[in-house]
Amino acid sequence: MRGVLRLALFQARRDRVLLPVWILGIALLGFATSSAVAAQFGDEAARTAIITLAASNPAFLFLRGLPDGIGSGAVVFFQCYAFTAVLAGLMSTFLVVRHTRTDEELGRSDLLDGTIPLPRAASLAGTLLLGGGANLALALFVAIGFIAAGLPVPGALGAGAAVGAVGVFFVAAAAAVAQAMPSGRSANAAASGLVGAAYLVRGIGDALGTPEADLLHVTSAWPAILSPIGWGQRSRPFTEPDLLPLLALFAAAFVVAAVAVLIRQRRDLGASLLPPREGRERAGVGGTSLVGLAWRLQRSTLTGWCLGAAALGAVAGMLGPLVAETVSGVAPLKELISRLVPGGRAELIDVFTAALLGMAGLFAAAAGIQAVLRLRAEEAEGRAELLLGAPMSRSRWLGANLFIAASSAVMISGTAGVSASVGLGVSGVTSVPAGSLVPAALAHVPAALVFLTATSLVFATAPRLSIPLGWGMLVTGLILGEFGELFGLPLWVQDLSPFRHSPAMPVEPFDPAGAAALTLVGAVLATLAGYAISRRDLTA
Amino acid sequence: MDAALQPVIETTGLVKDFGRTRALDGLELRVADGEVHGFLGPNGSGKSTTLRVLLGLIQPTAGNARVFGLDPWIDPVRTHRDLAYVPGDVSLWPNLSGGEAIDLLAGLRGGADEGLRRDLIEEFELEPRRKARTYSKGNRQKVALIAAFARPARLYLLDEPSAGLDPVMDAVFRRQIHRVSRDGATVLLSSHILSEVEQLCDRVTIIRSGAAVETGTMAELRHLKRTHFRITGLAEPARLAELPGAHGLRLDGPAAEFDAEAGDLGAVLAGIAEPGLSGLTVAPPSLEALFLRHYSDRRGQAQ
Repeated sequence: MRGVLRLALFQARRDRVLLPVWILGIALLGFATSSAVAAQFGDEAARTAIITLAASNPAFLFLRGLPDGIGSGAVVFFQCYAFTAVLAGLMSTFLVVRHTRTDEELGRSDLLDGTIPLPRAASLAGTLLLGGGANLALALFVAIGFIAAGLPVPGALGAGAAVGAVGVFFVAAAAAVAQAMPSGRSANAAASGLVGAAYLVRGIGDALGTPEADLLHVTSAWPAILSPIGWGQRSRPFTEPDLLPLLALFAAAFVVAAVAVLIRQRRDLGASLLPPREGRERAGVGGTSLVGLAWRLQRSTLTGWCLGAAALGAVAGMLGPLVAETVSGVAPLKELISRLVPGGRAELIDVFTAALLGMAGLFAAAAGIQAVLRLRAEEAEGRAELLLGAPMSRSRWLGANLFIAASSAVMISGTAGVSASVGLGVSGVTSVPAGSLVPAALAHVPAALVFLTATSLVFATAPRLSIPLGWGMLVTGLILGEFGELFGLPLWVQDLSPFRHSPAMPVEPFDPAGAAALTLVGAVLATLAGYAISRRDLTA
Repeated sequence: MDAALQPVIETTGLVKDFGRTRALDGLELRVADGEVHGFLGPNGSGKSTTLRVLLGLIQPTAGNARVFGLDPWIDPVRTHRDLAYVPGDVSLWPNLSGGEAIDLLAGLRGGADEGLRRDLIEEFELEPRRKARTYSKGNRQKVALIAAFARPARLYLLDEPSAGLDPVMDAVFRRQIHRVSRDGATVLLSSHILSEVEQLCDRVTIIRSGAAVETGTMAELRHLKRTHFRITGLAEPARLAELPGAHGLRLDGPAAEFDAEAGDLGAVLAGIAEPGLSGLTVAPPSLEALFLRHYSDRRGQAQ
């Protein structure tokens, strides 16, 4: 046990910057949300208005979760629990994969596991311990953030525990995934895919939920019970605290972790359930060009993003009719909506669709940033040196990757649009021609272009900062876009986020000036990056 | 200037600073057309940094670098047109097979010669279908070497190319150097493996702390150092102390060891001759000793 503890401390040392940034960042998001709720929805009337509005809108339920009364703690929990839980899940999965499969793939595990006189699974046990510790810290800091913003202490502790319990579950889940997948990248993709699926399934369950007559509470439908994020939500820390769902999460985490440890104890170092496949003897068409290489490296991740985007579109298609039914079945809800949204049920579905397509736009930006950041990995791991020894200019290398990054954004948005049009077209509930959802989805591409070209400019000028700044810009843009209004930030600050300039089609009309401006900014950033990349040293 | 006389590589007063560390400190390097040039130095002496400057991957802080008469920092694409490079630590794309990586790297230079590619894969005993993720360091090195040799170039820049290769593969590598050299190519080969440089190179530049400390043909460099003698069966080994030209005498029972300068060899041989002599070992001048001398100079232990 002392050996395992020492291994955990050794791993913690490697994460001494990264983990505090994650933990404090997530806690800060909770603190900022609670302060904003206190400032903007100080009186009960305001809170009743926002909660009623949310309870009657499946798009809100899908994105945020279940309204649970008008207590200020409950409103905060509704506003930020789901996002916080997703971040806790991602922190946990990246942490685990980093110390298990990635280390194993890069051969660092050989050195350690070959040297220390401990069981084979000791290092994995250390990682699980570190993951548990990180989530304990996360739970505490999230609670401190809530308390600092003036929420009641028991509720704040319960909310922190809910977030931490989701994190702990994903620590165990990622440990199991890392046993199965052959590489760090595939393990990260699969594990973060699980986090995304948990959010999505909870969203479906919540969007299909049944509002109570007063429109202040919503009870989720059965799919939410399949999602660990849904379990955390069930603990209702600020209204009727229930520790049972959290205990269930810990129990599930314990079982999954035990299975992972057992597999690790019995398998060879480097072995995986999914064996690495043999490759081809010769490069295929396009395998001898920089664009071909960029495509090859992006292909499998792009498939994952497109599957996610297709799922979002399918959710719109599948849930459309059900949402319409729920809305028309609850009399007070129907009344409220006809007051809020003149014209009836169809527009409400469009609001829902617009929210989903906006999320697909976020996927597009994330995939684009990921493709551009691959340049940094190529440079840091020494492959760029091998490539640039050929008679190819650096701007061409950058351009090839930007082209693939931009194409990824188009493909992801397009996939979501096609899938939504098919789904909604079949169900026949939308108020707009189903085909118009494809351009509606593509309207988010210009914002994605700004993110990915901005990342390329950071890479071209300050390569070591490109990974934190690239993802940091996306998170900042997301927070400004999603929470900017709630936080009451000045309009010009909110407008810094490219997401703010993408029209929420089909609810809003297409904004040609905004799209042109975003595309122009993207082109300028890309040109600057192409100029700057040839004027710096290649660095490790 | 006559094209044939123009050096393929020429650096003058090359300086490269990384922050406060000076990696190159006024390096002078000249590699003539068609020669196999050894670039010898201990780890951290600036060999890889020099090659990166020659490729235009990093910009020199001061001084000049010319490859084929071009400035590689200003015009990397034209500089690379007729050049093949193998980095010291080869890193490949984990999800590409070895064969795909070879096609990619050779393809970016204009495409591999099919016959050469096939022969090289066979000679180096590479399994081209395996994903690079599963390759050892030696196998990754092979991939980069095959990609470099599979398309003829006028200049080969090789950074410690045989590190990680076993002796059999090392022999294959040496055959390839002889082949491209026969075809008139220029090779710059950095190494800290002395026997490799000794066997392969026409000229050698020795680098220490970012500056060239010695440069010349193998014959010229041998001239600088001492031949090692070991003698047994002398009646009075101590008398060697008075022998002119014998340096660093060590006595070990009936055996005696010392070093001698090339110019004193005749006198030394005459001086040691006596009837009771039972054994004589004369070690040929090896680069090892030369190298050790230059290396130890830095630590103030000059002989």
